[in-house]
Amino acid sequence: MIEISAGVHQDKIIELLNNYNEDGIQFTFNEKKGINLYFSTNIEDLEKAASVAKSVIKKQPWGSVLYFRSSPLS
Amino acid sequence: MQFLIAWLEKYFLPLAGKIGGQKHLIALRDAFIGTLPATMAGSVAVMLNALLRDLPPLAFEGYDGNSIPVIREIIAVNGYVWNGTLAIAGLIFVFSWGYNIAKAYGVNELSGGIVSTAASIAGITFSFSGGITGLNLDAATVEAINAAGWSATTEGITAAGWGWLPLNNLDANFFFTAMIIGFIATMIYVKLMLKDITIKLPDSVPPAISKAFASIIPATVALYVVAIFYFVFSKFVPDMTFLQWLQKTVALPLLGLSQGFGAVVLVALFVQLFWFFGIHGPNVLAPILEGVFGVAQLENVNLFQQGGVDLVLEEGYMWVRGSFDAYAWYGGSGGTIVLIIALLLFSKRKDYRTVANLSVGPGIFNINEPIMFGLPIVLNPLMFIPFLLTPVVSVSIGYFATLWGLVNPVSQQVVWVTPPFLLSFLATGADWRAPIVTLVAMLVSFLIWIPFVIAANKMAPDAGQDDKIIADLEHDNKSV
Repeated sequence: MIEISAGVHQDKIIELLNNYNEDGIQFTFNEKKGINLYFSTNIEDLEKAASVAKSVIKKQPWGSVLYFRSSPLS
Repeated sequence: MQFLIAWLEKYFLPLAGKIGGQKHLIALRDAFIGTLPATMAGSVAVMLNALLRDLPPLAFEGYDGNSIPVIREIIAVNGYVWNGTLAIAGLIFVFSWGYNIAKAYGVNELSGGIVSTAASIAGITFSFSGGITGLNLDAATVEAINAAGWSATTEGITAAGWGWLPLNNLDANFFFTAMIIGFIATMIYVKLMLKDITIKLPDSVPPAISKAFASIIPATVALYVVAIFYFVFSKFVPDMTFLQWLQKTVALPLLGLSQGFGAVVLVALFVQLFWFFGIHGPNVLAPILEGVFGVAQLENVNLFQQGGVDLVLEEGYMWVRGSFDAYAWYGGSGGTIVLIIALLLFSKRKDYRTVANLSVGPGIFNINEPIMFGLPIVLNPLMFIPFLLTPVVSVSIGYFATLWGLVNPVSQQVVWVTPPFLLSFLATGADWRAPIVTLVAMLVSFLIWIPFVIAANKMAPDAGQDDKIIADLEHDNKSV
């Protein structure tokens, strides 16, 4: 499980990560609690999954100005 | 709150996204960041010289660092570092600027940097002249001076030379010229490259050579366009170079505007507002923070190197980029280290106290993600007012303390992860009053935070939820 903490554009983050499928990495949105979004992933290395999620969001035109956190949850 | 978020996402975020994602502004931000290795090295040199040469005389009468072995040599070495960094900070920036523009468009970055540098340097004066009149020289002296290559009469001496690049044209004064001319020249180069108006060599030619050849036509056209502009400009404004004119008509008024209290408070307020809604404030405002306040800071650092704090006070800027870090952004944007202390002292909520405990370590080094997202502060209505208000009040305290001469202006570049009191001490050239001003700002901020922390006690989560929240927070502790 990874956690994305973001104040805005939560719907876009969910849509982006739900549809992400590169290098064998996929994310599935599980739940939302306040500013936190929780995603499960198909890879065991959660550090890598969190890092990929952060990088994917940052690359979006709307993501470059977002202030958010991407964390692995063990 | 949901309505506000929806409104922000619909109307404001696209605009912020356009600003933050605008490739030229990103290139500008990256160009400033790209100069950091040089500007930080230069700042270390200036700071060391401040500690070894400029400050000891204030405490020890008769101290002269330049006459003490080892100290003297260290000062000299620092001088070399300064020569190659802050003394030519504008020159370093102009290359970085062209490089990053070219990179943004996916064309040869190295040539972009070279075009930007060449075009901007082309407009700088290469000659100097000066003279003294009212003298009464004898014939032998006049003859000796003339023989040395200067021009002298019995009444005065005139010195003129060619082949000199004045340092005051290459330091922080160069930034605005670089931003305009470097941009125009690099964009001409980029557009021609993208239109493929290039010299094409056979595939057998090594890539480095063919890339350089491909850039020849675009670079030449770009440099000629700029050169023709300089020529025409010199006909209309014969007494000034473009750089001098730009300094007088644009740069100085703009930097002057940045020194107003309203401008400083507005910037502090907008940065907070962006952070609160989960937008990277300094990224969006980088053109102002780095392009205006950052340039003012480099000017102050150079003035300090040349004439110590007296020259900074005389000719420098009161409020620069580092002033925000020194007096308002202790513990991170929003001065959140104070909130952490308030939580530890007054919060009765287990979840808040856990967040505060986890946030202390990073907070000392001005990293506040744990508390921004852990508490959270982002989009937390209860935190909105103090989060916006405390930096504005802190900035005001720092601003007026500087304006009224209670503390020296920030004149050193210090890395932002330096702990708060040490940061303001070093940033002001080791002014012992600076940490006191920071402390005053912190105390006032602390008083602002307290009622909101106590109010949060009354909004504690239900029993049972508390432990779950804490367990989540402890999971969250590691972020990437």
